[in-house]
Amino acid sequence: MTGNPLIRLADVTKVYHLESGDFTALDRVSLDIGEKDFVAIMGPSGSGKSTMLNLVGILDVPTSGTVQIAGKDVARMTGPERTRMRRDTIGFIFQKFYLIPLLSAYENVEYPLILKYKKRDTAGRAAAVLRSVGFDGALGSHRPSQLSGGQQQRVAIARALVNDPGILLCDEPTGNLDRKTGLQIMDILCELNEKGKTIIIVTHDPKISEYANRTIELEDGRIAS
Amino acid sequence: MRDIFLDLSARSVHLNLLRSVLASIGIVIGVVAISSMGMLGTNMQLEVKDQLSTGANTIVITPDTVRMGPPGSEPSSSSSSTDITKTVLAKIRIATGDSGTVIPVHRTNTQFTLGSVPGRASLYGLDPDDITKFLTIGNGTNIVGMNDALVGSTIASNFNLKLGSRIRIGSESTGQSVARIVGIIDARGMSSDNINTDNAIVVSDDWYVNQYGGKDEYPQVNVIVKDIDTISGVESAIDAKVNTNEKTPTVRISDASSRLSGISSSLSTMTTFILAIGGISLVVAAVSIFNVMMMSVNERVQEIGILLSIGTEAGEVRRMFLYEALILGLLGAVVGGAVSLVMGYSVVSAMIGTTAYYFLPASMAFIPEGMVVGMIVCLVSGLYPAWRASNLDPIEALRSE
Repeated sequence: MTGNPLIRLADVTKVYHLESGDFTALDRVSLDIGEKDFVAIMGPSGSGKSTMLNLVGILDVPTSGTVQIAGKDVARMTGPERTRMRRDTIGFIFQKFYLIPLLSAYENVEYPLILKYKKRDTAGRAAAVLRSVGFDGALGSHRPSQLSGGQQQRVAIARALVNDPGILLCDEPTGNLDRKTGLQIMDILCELNEKGKTIIIVTHDPKISEYANRTIELEDGRIAS
Repeated sequence: MRDIFLDLSARSVHLNLLRSVLASIGIVIGVVAISSMGMLGTNMQLEVKDQLSTGANTIVITPDTVRMGPPGSEPSSSSSSTDITKTVLAKIRIATGDSGTVIPVHRTNTQFTLGSVPGRASLYGLDPDDITKFLTIGNGTNIVGMNDALVGSTIASNFNLKLGSRIRIGSESTGQSVARIVGIIDARGMSSDNINTDNAIVVSDDWYVNQYGGKDEYPQVNVIVKDIDTISGVESAIDAKVNTNEKTPTVRISDASSRLSGISSSLSTMTTFILAIGGISLVVAAVSIFNVMMMSVNERVQEIGILLSIGTEAGEVRRMFLYEALILGLLGAVVGGAVSLVMGYSVVSAMIGTTAYYFLPASMAFIPEGMVVGMIVCLVSGLYPAWRASNLDPIEALRSE
């Protein structure tokens, strides 16, 4: 860990109650992630990687144990407080990009700014962030369906960055991209880490995990190494 | 600044334009139905009120036939036991004094024959001196001779009656008498003095008594007051003088206002009923809007998951879907309002025969009212879909394809 603990999981268990029976996705996991860390979470399918990312991203709450983000216990936060923390402190980058199909590339990046400041971006922040991730400004008015995978992921990264969050959560961010574009995206993430962002990346790809300064192996819901 | 959620809603409607337009057609039909039906009912009320305002200064006195007849029996206008007697008439004259004019009325329904053409009409027997106090003879003169008669405008038109025409009044079995038409009474419509002459023959009281009997017995007595402000005072005086026994009153006393309120109440009930029929189409429209909104939510589950996961508040997601419902409602309401203006005019013109009251505020008000109701229906239909969208689990929503 290269800084103070920004994220703390203490004895976290997550059990899903399925029709086929209870499934323990995470089993008494404890973990500290500091500021400016670049952490890769690896493991086979069903090992609990996405569950851990969802808990850190405050999209879910643990069955037992505590998850703290920036010193705040997620379980004690109200719904609107969690929403605000997701909006202001955490940026999400997904394998499938998950851009809003009805909005243009530019509007997708502007959207989190509108959520936060309740007004349109007149300062050019969205356009500046789009440029910073290497997105061609001429494509700003294009809908996501009119963009290539690499361009869509750049828009998704810009959207995650536009509110200047401290934490970036990346779920297989290169999974839908060709090798070359994937490496370009990883270069962008490394640059962001160097600028102070805490990055947690879930991946199956050992080559991708090499970019991280710390790798956590999960197996059957437990930390194997 | 345009609201981003309004933008998203408008784009969603635009993306599914055909579906949205089809759903809005339900609202169009609903708005047209309640606006047109409401305007029809109101125009009907205004027309009737206007007609009844003729004779607004007239008190109508009729026998309390319920008391006089045996239980369950129909009162008969020709039965002496149910008529206002000479004694009662004298009391009415005393009670009225100089405040008005008392007009005893003989009335029945009769057959008549013009040449070989038979017909039916109301027959009134009036003192010729009273006739011009409340009837206007537009063509011809008042009754002078014993066999003179006046006819209403409708009957004159339908039977092509002219001044000097002779008609045989009465049936062959009860005996017929010939009368000569000397005047045609101007159209009065449905008058509140309960003397509807448009489809009637008016003869002198002497002629009537000779033909039908009933001397000094009247099924109706009207009192035309000089000053309309004194009408309730005159009514009270007559009531006090004639209906000495409160439990068994001799006569019923009414005036235009009480008759108007009775008829208005009936028409109002009818208007409510036809509005309710129009309302049924809005219920169908509501189901259609609900269905479209649920489809929109189900198709956009992943998008809702994205919105929620990147920090959109549940209330903002709710707002987005309510905007969508409102856009559908606005679309339907605006088109429905415009169609109502034309459709309502046609319906009122066809059903009532006049559009004189159509553009009055009381009638026109149904268009904005119908539009507002249509939009409220849309908003209510969108409540559950919007609530459902805002309560989706973002993780589950993101996983959906």
